[in-house]
Amino acid sequence: MAEFWRWKEYNWHDENKDWRDGELITAGVDVGSVSSQAVIVVDGELYAYSNMRTGSSSPESANNSFNWAIEGTGLTLDDVGFVIGTGYGRVNVPFSHKAITEIACHARGANAMYGPSVRTVLDMGGQDCKVIRCDEKGKVTAFAMNDKCAAGTGRGMEVFADLLAIPIGEVGELSLDVEEEPPPVSSTCVVFAKSEATGLLREGWSKSKVLAAYCSAMAHRVVTLLEQVGVEEDFAITGGIAKNSGVVTRLEKELGIKALPFDTDTQIAGALGAALFAQNLLRKKLAKAGK
Amino acid sequence: MFDKFRDWEQNRHDYAKDWQKHNGGKVIGYFCTYVPEEILYAAGVLPVRILGSHEPQDVTEPHIFGMFCPFCRDCLAQGLKGRYDYLDGLTIAQSCLHIRQTFTSWEKHIPLEFTYYMPHPMKVQSPRALPYLVSEIEIFKKAVEEWTGVTITDEMIKKAAEVYDENRRLMREVYELRKAENPPLSGEEAMEMVISSQLVDKAEHNEELKRVLAELPNRDTGRETGARLMILGSEDDDIKFINMVESCGATFVTDDHCTGTRYFWNTTPEGNGDMLESIAQRYIDRPRCPSKDWEDRSRLDHILKMAKDWDVAGAIVIQQKFCDPHEADTPTIRKALNDIDVKNLFLEFDVTVPLGQFRIRVEAFLEMIGDEDLFD
Repeated sequence: MAEFWRWKEYNWHDENKDWRDGELITAGVDVGSVSSQAVIVVDGELYAYSNMRTGSSSPESANNSFNWAIEGTGLTLDDVGFVIGTGYGRVNVPFSHKAITEIACHARGANAMYGPSVRTVLDMGGQDCKVIRCDEKGKVTAFAMNDKCAAGTGRGMEVFADLLAIPIGEVGELSLDVEEEPPPVSSTCVVFAKSEATGLLREGWSKSKVLAAYCSAMAHRVVTLLEQVGVEEDFAITGGIAKNSGVVTRLEKELGIKALPFDTDTQIAGALGAALFAQNLLRKKLAKAGK
Repeated sequence: MFDKFRDWEQNRHDYAKDWQKHNGGKVIGYFCTYVPEEILYAAGVLPVRILGSHEPQDVTEPHIFGMFCPFCRDCLAQGLKGRYDYLDGLTIAQSCLHIRQTFTSWEKHIPLEFTYYMPHPMKVQSPRALPYLVSEIEIFKKAVEEWTGVTITDEMIKKAAEVYDENRRLMREVYELRKAENPPLSGEEAMEMVISSQLVDKAEHNEELKRVLAELPNRDTGRETGARLMILGSEDDDIKFINMVESCGATFVTDDHCTGTRYFWNTTPEGNGDMLESIAQRYIDRPRCPSKDWEDRSRLDHILKMAKDWDVAGAIVIQQKFCDPHEADTPTIRKALNDIDVKNLFLEFDVTVPLGQFRIRVEAFLEMIGDEDLFD
């Protein structure tokens, strides 16, 4: 049976750059509840990354994502001066020098990805969702996290992709293919929402319409969270759901605010922030050592 | 140094049973710190505050609505499971409806020789609150006299108040020491100290406090102070949570809890010699529970002053889930803290707290208020 939730794993490195030309090489490893990313930064510039599914062991996921990020670059762990672990498994990154929360890392990552004008970051992750306010440096000034359920997260979207047999990457676009916006599913729990969706399908709703109802419910839930801390522009979204136009479009509509467009993979924001913090700490460490 | 307090806190039932055996006196369980314990103590009764055990349970569902606070359900579970089977009596002073439901259900299902529901002014700021409370304490006193067969004289109340006031003063002295750059005790130890004071004979607690205070100023805890935090909100005896936060590189230096400062902050005023009035005045004046602190919210100034005096870098605002009085106060308090630039984190407590989920919020909060320079 096809696994419609299964998103593509990938790695990338900058072919036009040679890390050997750089001075400060650092890494950030974000072991999330659903996906893990490793990012290598050379002198503050994104050099390589990977994005893969988190396995049952955090240390293994950390190792795998790091090894995949450096694949084909000739880089080894010994060449990396400072590693920061973040995410759900942040304390289980065996080769890290320090752990920092994904809240701080996403703010820092979004600052690098979207520029210093970002004041509100919405991270829609695999199993949690956070709203982070930050200053021009990307330092957190306030935050809120969902704490009741996983309905506004990637895991919920995966459940729906599977239920409707729609590849996860197509869910967003398909949900926009409706003549009229249906009312959102009322349940806040993924499992109940799934039951509700099954009922709607039985009533003859199209897949697009059911997805529209779910994306809109997710957008609405997230807006509630955003309102807890307040939204100040510029507004940016990180995490996997940032790539889901069905949720983002509805979110923007409800907020009356546009999210900044992105040209860097939104799922690496946390690991990128971690790698950038690592740059600062490595620089300070070297300065202290008189190098 | 704080082992005795911890021992009392952890073995509260053993203590009460031993006390009962050795003193031959009666033990009464009470809900809510508005109960005028001095009256009970004067009659030779040991008042012990009923608290939960922080274990999941399935016995209260038929008695208390699921959207009443976890604390009131946890307390009732203790009764229904027979953990307080040694109690001779049970009492409550009216504060919130949730805990009153616990009292009512307990009274209905667990036979006791004495139960007493004490009305208590809900608007303690009113000038009519004092005469109201004096007369309620008077009636309460008579009920206790009838139950125990002891005639409670003014002299006995005065003596009881002296013991209680000494306890309050000594605990406040301990809190004063927490103003130090490196406090000689952790927030966990402070919480154990105050909670244990609600569980044991105050005279005995005073002796232990004096012993601790003699050594405390010179104590080196051997731990890093880290970020100075205060914790405030509804009933909180979640020592595991305090421990978790302090293990993340922080120290609680003060609190506004009924298991903390609200319980012992002020002492009985001199007054005009009428002991009942003096005692009533103290319960009117004490740092207030939000169920009674309307509409001036005197508690707000108290919290803000404490935040300044204890030089806190941040505050953790907690409440028992569904605690209406605190839900009403929380937004105002958080705003006021923000206005004086005390960053704060809000968390909702349940019978058991999700330590992993809370840890990330706490760590992120500490990173936010911390001065570690991750930035250029």
